[in-house]
Amino acid sequence: MSAPAGQRTAFAARLGRLWARTWPPLLGVAILLGAWQLLYLVEFRPPWVFPSPGEVATSLVELARDPVSWSALGTTLTRGVVGFGLALLLGTALGIALSASRVLRSAIGSLLTGLQTMPSIAWFPFAILLFGLTEQAILFVVILGAVPSIANGLISGIDDVPPALVRTAHTLGARGFSMYRYVVVPAALPTYVAGLKQGWAFAWRSLMAGELLVVIAARPSLGVQMTFFREFADTAPLLATMIVILVIGMVVDGVLSRVSNRVRLRRGLGAVRL
Amino acid sequence: MSAGTEMAIRARGVTKLFGRGTDQVVALDGVDLEVAEGEFVCLLGRSGCGKSTLLSMIAGLTRPSEGEIDMGGRRVGMMFQDSNLFPWLTVEGNIHLALRLSGAPKDQWADRTAELLDMVHLPGMQLRRPHELSGGMRQRVALARSLAQDCQILLMDEPFAALDAITRDALHDQIERVWAERRLTIVFVTHNVREAARLGDRVVVMQPSPGRIAEEVRVTLARPRKMDDPLIATRAAALHDKLDKYHVIAEQGRTS
Repeated sequence: MSAPAGQRTAFAARLGRLWARTWPPLLGVAILLGAWQLLYLVEFRPPWVFPSPGEVATSLVELARDPVSWSALGTTLTRGVVGFGLALLLGTALGIALSASRVLRSAIGSLLTGLQTMPSIAWFPFAILLFGLTEQAILFVVILGAVPSIANGLISGIDDVPPALVRTAHTLGARGFSMYRYVVVPAALPTYVAGLKQGWAFAWRSLMAGELLVVIAARPSLGVQMTFFREFADTAPLLATMIVILVIGMVVDGVLSRVSNRVRLRRGLGAVRL
Repeated sequence: MSAGTEMAIRARGVTKLFGRGTDQVVALDGVDLEVAEGEFVCLLGRSGCGKSTLLSMIAGLTRPSEGEIDMGGRRVGMMFQDSNLFPWLTVEGNIHLALRLSGAPKDQWADRTAELLDMVHLPGMQLRRPHELSGGMRQRVALARSLAQDCQILLMDEPFAALDAITRDALHDQIERVWAERRLTIVFVTHNVREAARLGDRVVVMQPSPGRIAEEVRVTLARPRKMDDPLIATRAAALHDKLDKYHVIAEQGRTS
């Protein structure tokens, strides 16, 4: 059975568009792999320190067959989701509080911005003393890493709500809660989502730092896995784990970027190409 | 004004000061204004004569420093030079929000929205987004949104100043029709003398530094009016002379 001509050309056009979007990143990855293979072939470092892309791919498959590495992935992802989720709640509450209260703002506003520039790994020695080698120590730092970005995103979003929209909403009868619920929060959404994206990046970095420093006995995680591979000088699975970490970070960032683009496009804020 | 006409707006001795100490500016100085129910009043003046300030005080966006404004509990709607549609909502969403905030029951929203969009000649535009509309269309949606709250008084702060002449003419016709159909009381701020003569039952000419009412002019032309009516041009020319006169007086007052 043959499809109608119009349907077929539409399908071809879609395929063409998909190809136009996929070939540049594919080319980038190909160039990277080529350079890697080349470095391997000229033996820039001994092969057991610097494995070939093929070996890393094999390790990746082996890891995928090993239930222990899946449970490691599960532990890490759970920490990421819980940590980011708590940071989301705390950061949002803090952002609303700081944008509502001038006193609070001048009291801890600049401290919050300062925390954003502080490398969260610097918190770990203190966190370990405070909580020991526990989940809490890791979550503590993950939350500290992400909260300032999320709170600051919301605060600057609320600061930048056009006063004209607030005045208009006032003439329509919006006051207090309804002003926040129907005008201020939606107007601040694009900046808030940008803050969430940055918050996720910080949370993910802090989590990896935490898993390398806070090794909890009998609880495999991506960080613990990497520590073991380093100790046994097993570079191929080490690199395979790093690829997994990179991909997870990119996937979550991609989802948040899609949300952000959709929010912006709907209000006519998409990028303009001239 | 015939006896017994109810007043929609009574402003008495309204003064507005901005700033403090030596930087203090008197934006409005003891303004008295009465607007009858169903009247179309234009506040005409150059920039800096306090006409927008007076309007935002009537709207309750700022408080007078002295004096009082009484609207007898009437609902007030307002339109600005920019439509200020909420960009995250569709046309329908914008109107629904106004209905929600004015407490209209939810099951009426769809019908009322369709009715309002018909009234501003934008039927079927419910699902469009503000950034997809032209400036004139956005201003009409803003009008529909203001009317959604069932206001009896509509305040308009140079709502058509940013539009081209053809669109503006069309909107003048529309606002005149809506005003008559809904028996609205309208206070319309403008610096355009033709617009004031085209729309107003009464034109309140204001003068700057400090902002005061200089003179009131009644426009007794039959409605509906047309912008290209030569009588409007004559009224506009007369208003223009008055504006010039009061501006010069204000300048002299400042330099002496």
